[in-house]
Amino acid sequence: MMVSGSRLRQIGWIVALAVCLGLFLALTFRVHAVNSEVLLAERQIIALKNQTLMLETEFQTRASQRQLSDWNTVDFGYSAPRADQYLGSERQLASFAAPLVPGAPSPIRVARADIPVEPAEPGEMRSPLTGKPVALTVAMAEVEASTMFAEAFGDLIADASPVRPAQARTMLSAEVVE
Amino acid sequence: MNALSATTAISTGRVHLVTFRRQSLTMARWRVLWVALVFALVAAAAVLRIFYFGLSDRAVSRTSLEDALLPPRGEITDRNGTPLARAFPAYALWYNPNALGDNGAPLVKPPEQVAAELQAIFPTLDEAKVTRQLASGKAGYIRRRVLPEEANQVQAIGELALGMPRETDRHYPQGSMGSHILGYVAADGKGRVGMEQVLEKQLSDPALRGDPVPLSIDIRVQGALEDELRRGMLAVDAKGAAGIVLDVDTGEVMALASLPEFDPNRIDADGAANMMNRVTNQVYELGSTFKPLTMAAAIDAGVIRDLSKPWNAKTVKIGSIERSDHADKGETLNIPQALAYSSNTVTMRVADQLGPERLRQTMIDLGMNERPFIELPAKGHPIWPGGKWSRLTNMTVGYGHGISVTPLHLASAYAAMVNGGIWRPATLRKVEPGAAPRGRRVFKASTSSRMRQLLRMVSLYGTGRSADAKGYRVGGKTGSAEKPTRGGYSRTKLVSTFAAAFPMDRPRYVVVAVIDEPRGTLASSYQRTAAWNAAPVVGRLVPRIGPLMGVQPDARRDVDISDLESLVRKPSQ
Repeated sequence: MMVSGSRLRQIGWIVALAVCLGLFLALTFRVHAVNSEVLLAERQIIALKNQTLMLETEFQTRASQRQLSDWNTVDFGYSAPRADQYLGSERQLASFAAPLVPGAPSPIRVARADIPVEPAEPGEMRSPLTGKPVALTVAMAEVEASTMFAEAFGDLIADASPVRPAQARTMLSAEVVE
Repeated sequence: MNALSATTAISTGRVHLVTFRRQSLTMARWRVLWVALVFALVAAAAVLRIFYFGLSDRAVSRTSLEDALLPPRGEITDRNGTPLARAFPAYALWYNPNALGDNGAPLVKPPEQVAAELQAIFPTLDEAKVTRQLASGKAGYIRRRVLPEEANQVQAIGELALGMPRETDRHYPQGSMGSHILGYVAADGKGRVGMEQVLEKQLSDPALRGDPVPLSIDIRVQGALEDELRRGMLAVDAKGAAGIVLDVDTGEVMALASLPEFDPNRIDADGAANMMNRVTNQVYELGSTFKPLTMAAAIDAGVIRDLSKPWNAKTVKIGSIERSDHADKGETLNIPQALAYSSNTVTMRVADQLGPERLRQTMIDLGMNERPFIELPAKGHPIWPGGKWSRLTNMTVGYGHGISVTPLHLASAYAAMVNGGIWRPATLRKVEPGAAPRGRRVFKASTSSRMRQLLRMVSLYGTGRSADAKGYRVGGKTGSAEKPTRGGYSRTKLVSTFAAAFPMDRPRYVVVAVIDEPRGTLASSYQRTAAWNAAPVVGRLVPRIGPLMGVQPDARRDVDISDLESLVRKPSQ
């Protein structure tokens, strides 16, 4: 059977159309897949922000002005700086230097070389009371896919365990309780 | 025939068989077709569903990130962004007797034991009351606010009936600090008392509540003010105390405290009794702190031209009424001496010479005849001598009696007296630089600079010496007024006030401390006047708050008082 040229062209058009449609569908599917990922990320952000709010508020409450003042009264005893502890200018600072008289020590000249400094790692968290390292439970926990899911959708799952946000207890609070 | 009939019979049987077979085949085909059709339909539905998911945007119902993070009620912060009040997803402790669901006993352990374990977690809990509640088997709140850590411990008790529903609650991280400024949110979700009530619309409007509202107060200054006031109040066994720190150039309230305070996180009967704001709502006769205002009015009007002029300091007699000074400092006193020694008689004579109209007008210009200017809803109306002032009224107002105003009135008036003469309304909203209200002129700039010298001299040589924090150039005036009672003034109940500004060479802040009914204790050397209780509070407060608010102490800097110094005899010590 002979296939005429116009018939072949028709089939070609149909194939091209099908390919375009297929690509369009694939692209659309991809877009919506990414959309869903964004949604997931947003939920994760919301969950984390809520947790941050909670921890921040707890921290603010524990470090309230009244609490700090009580600690200062009992433990530290810091007081407001006196007037003579302030320096008004470089000139005033220089006035503390030894006067230039015969036999005075020659002024010390300080050489300086700029050494490229590695960006410092944020230091270990230490308890202000004992000086021991403090470990956050959240920082130690490995993030697994299931926990990620639980964090992202935790607020949707009806009445999740109320204990969850309190996992971020520090050693400090444990010590205070003791 | 037989054979024929037999053949026919056989052929008839075959025909039947063939028909049956065909029918069966047809039926089987139809069945296959139906099954295939059902499969196809299911497959088509699945494919359509996939396409729907792939193509539709509304496949998953979503709330936007902004909506999810929008707090149910806006946050209130201090001027540096520290949160003072925020919506907080808190836990409540709810007793649900049906949690076990077997119609048996609601608790596993005996109620007494559970109550004891709860009491160990919440020391303020009334154990007997909770025991009764648990035993009664009625559902209800045991506690409205539970911290996450406490929730952990309650969970560890292991009672299913102790449920912990998550509720959105208003939380004040600083506790009772600044409670009179903030107020609280009642059970109906509406703000009460303080800025929670004033900002109700803004805090609940979905378009606005996403942004925190900054107040003018600085939480560190507020903490120091409450700390020092409380210490001063307890040291002299006083009934209450009030204090305010005001920016003289913008009218911003940096701190405002009224003690005893209440805890906005937990409103109870004790707290409700303390909701009266002593700074904006309670009016006092503020006594001698008014003397500088009278002097300023007299200098402004040209009644006092020469500060060295001696004024008669003997007892003032008007009809049957006599007024004299607390301590005799000589027959005549000049103006700096009269302020430093807080002379009633000289102030009365100055007020008399000034005349009732002019003193009254100055007081009206300072806003003493109307409620104080501030956003807070609780504002006390001054007790203002009405009608035409008599000679005696004028003279008593001159030294702060016969007129009752709030400490805020006094702070605003002092700000006007030292800032160059401009009165501005006080505000609890943060004022952006350059956006301060224009205010109205009450005193000339020259009068204001004279008053800075005079106030500085009071704290250098006079009754305000214990407020003179080294390097901060504090200037201020004490006031100890007897409280009016039925039929006269009480001899034992005082209101002692110290109104000050610092640094006097370029005033930035006014501080007013009021101690209500102080007693003579060992801490105050058995004295009850302001020099022994209110002034030391300011003396301890200023070094704590000065550096935080950009006032650097400098012992070599001061307002120039060289022209007046010789007019006041220096104290012997």
